[in-house]
Amino acid sequence: MNHPDRDDKKWRTLLELAAPTFAGATELPYGFVTSTMARVKAERAEREMTDRIGLRALFAALAVLAMAGGISFAVQLHDRLDFDPGTKSIIQEDHVSIS
Amino acid sequence: MDSLIDVADCLRRWKLGDESAAEELIRHLHPVISRIVRTNLPRRDHEDDVIQEILMKTFSRLHQYKGDAPLSHWVSRLALTTCLDRLRAQKIRPEVRWADLTPDEAQVFETAWLGSKTTDATAAIHARDLVDKLLSTLSPMDRSLILQADLEGRSLEEISDCTGWGISKIKMRLFRVRAQLRKAMLKLEEKK
Repeated sequence: MNHPDRDDKKWRTLLELAAPTFAGATELPYGFVTSTMARVKAERAEREMTDRIGLRALFAALAVLAMAGGISFAVQLHDRLDFDPGTKSIIQEDHVSIS
Repeated sequence: MDSLIDVADCLRRWKLGDESAAEELIRHLHPVISRIVRTNLPRRDHEDDVIQEILMKTFSRLHQYKGDAPLSHWVSRLALTTCLDRLRAQKIRPEVRWADLTPDEAQVFETAWLGSKTTDATAAIHARDLVDKLLSTLSPMDRSLILQADLEGRSLEEISDCTGWGISKIKMRLFRVRAQLRKAMLKLEEKK
């Protein structure tokens, strides 16, 4: 048979009995601060290194991009100065038929 | 809580690389996190590991803390989310059977309906294990809800602030959770 009041009372009694086990710790466990600090420091160092590597990678990518831009600009400039930029090979120049 | 140490000063020093500031923050935040972990996770979960995980998250996300609420509140939300995520990873029990209880837990269950209240530490642990077993039949959110209401004695408004749910939704959900717990206890009695 269902007894809502009795079951609610039972639940509350169980909670009251268990209440001390829900309370937060008043003292830090031995060595807790040291081990946490070690992890915090390690993570911070790792993050800083990732940031540094990230910055280096960004600078390297920018340098490559600038070089590629420079080269393509130089090629374009060269093409503009060329007499017939469309003719590039001797075969085309001499109208050699390719069979 | 935050007035016990100068949190703003600690945060400023930590950003400048002062490790003693981090130690002060750990000592300051440990009791807050410990209470949340003990309330929301089963007793046998690795408490210190979870607290450490929450502290690590705190330090890695400190740049997101705007300072518009006390640091302890901000960390509490982070701690609760971490606990709920851990609970979500665990399997929900379909039911608790009498055979699942240890003799001590069975005894606590038998005497609990008489409303017996002892201050015995061992009885508290057995009662806690039994409570954990009953709570393991609930979803993580329902578990958190019933503990906020029945254990921490929070008002519906406070729970609403914490969960972002409306009062009527909380009332309805609490009603269902209580019914579910009643059913679980009834089944235990039937299968004795």
